[in-house]
Amino acid sequence: MAEKRITIRATRFDPEKDSEPRLQSYDIPFSDDSMVVLDALNYIKSHVDGSLSYRWSCRMGICGSCGMTVNGTPKLTCAAFLRDYYPNPVTVTPLNNFPIVRDLVVDMEDFMQKLKSIKPWIIRKQELPLGAGEHRQTMNQIDDFRQFSQCINCMLCYAACPVYGLDDKFLGPAAIALARRYNLDSRDQGIKDRLPVLASPDGVWECSFVGECSVVCPKGVDPAKAIQQTKLDTTMRFVLPYGNRE
Amino acid sequence: MSAEAGTSTRTATKTYRPAMGTGWWTRKRHYFLYMVREFTALPLALWLLWLLYEIQRAGRGPTGYYPPASTAFVIFSVICLLFALYHSFTFLSLAGVILHFKVLDKPVPSRLIVLSQFGMWLVASLVIGGVLIGFGR
Repeated sequence: MAEKRITIRATRFDPEKDSEPRLQSYDIPFSDDSMVVLDALNYIKSHVDGSLSYRWSCRMGICGSCGMTVNGTPKLTCAAFLRDYYPNPVTVTPLNNFPIVRDLVVDMEDFMQKLKSIKPWIIRKQELPLGAGEHRQTMNQIDDFRQFSQCINCMLCYAACPVYGLDDKFLGPAAIALARRYNLDSRDQGIKDRLPVLASPDGVWECSFVGECSVVCPKGVDPAKAIQQTKLDTTMRFVLPYGNRE
Repeated sequence: MSAEAGTSTRTATKTYRPAMGTGWWTRKRHYFLYMVREFTALPLALWLLWLLYEIQRAGRGPTGYYPPASTAFVIFSVICLLFALYHSFTFLSLAGVILHFKVLDKPVPSRLIVLSQFGMWLVASLVIGGVLIGFGR
């Protein structure tokens, strides 16, 4: 029986030589139904062309490193099975809306700055002494923010967001979802530190609720929900008497 | 993608910055439906402008007032109604995503919020329809 093969078309871009990216085709064996797009890229790098550059790490949908655009849709390549595309070719391009550094590698600096700006950590007005024990939470309190804490910073939501694509000043889905995660945490007291960033013109109000960020999220986070709920919260804090209370 | 290579200040590495084409909303069905949803506001605004004009006309008194009844106007109104229904449907469906509150320390399910919104929409429509028909007689 003839060996099954699949065509992978990957973006190539060498900043020292190329003026713009191009697609290069690789015909590789499709030996196993459990092969994912990342396996195909690893095969190309190991056996065909060692110069192909891309990010990856855990290979199990936890680290968020291997996000790329697969046939037009932002995906974790470790979770995109070749069997879902075979026998058609698979086109792998870098994540949309980010500057391309080389081949399939994008510049994450803008995202990292935005992430830092919303202070994604627990802020306390006054730290309790260690002797005071743990900050206990009920299951209901954890449920309030649990889904937003699943974000792995893979940036697929930014790649799917046309608002960010048209204006990269927009704070973006993952950063706002993480801000909401901490604002909803009963241990946190930092909402007033985050509000100036969230309610700024480049914050939640820039979002026009396309909703594609929530569709592509590989961890089931709903950033669109976080953004709309933050809009409502900021409005209520502004409108209601004592709305700006802690 | 258009060529717009820039220089990152952090790494001083030349990067390629792809630009979004004007036809981005045709790439995916979801994007297309989003654009339709946003566009529905335009015919609604036009119809409301017309309504303001009619109110101003009717304000002169019943003498000489006649409601518009041309075929073109009926077609325009039906199209506006379809857009208004789609707009209302998407707006009320999204309410379940936005609203979040608890009853007896348990979050109210999104589905229940959406159903209650549609229920209120139906009641409001019946009341307004009843009032208008009642006044018309």
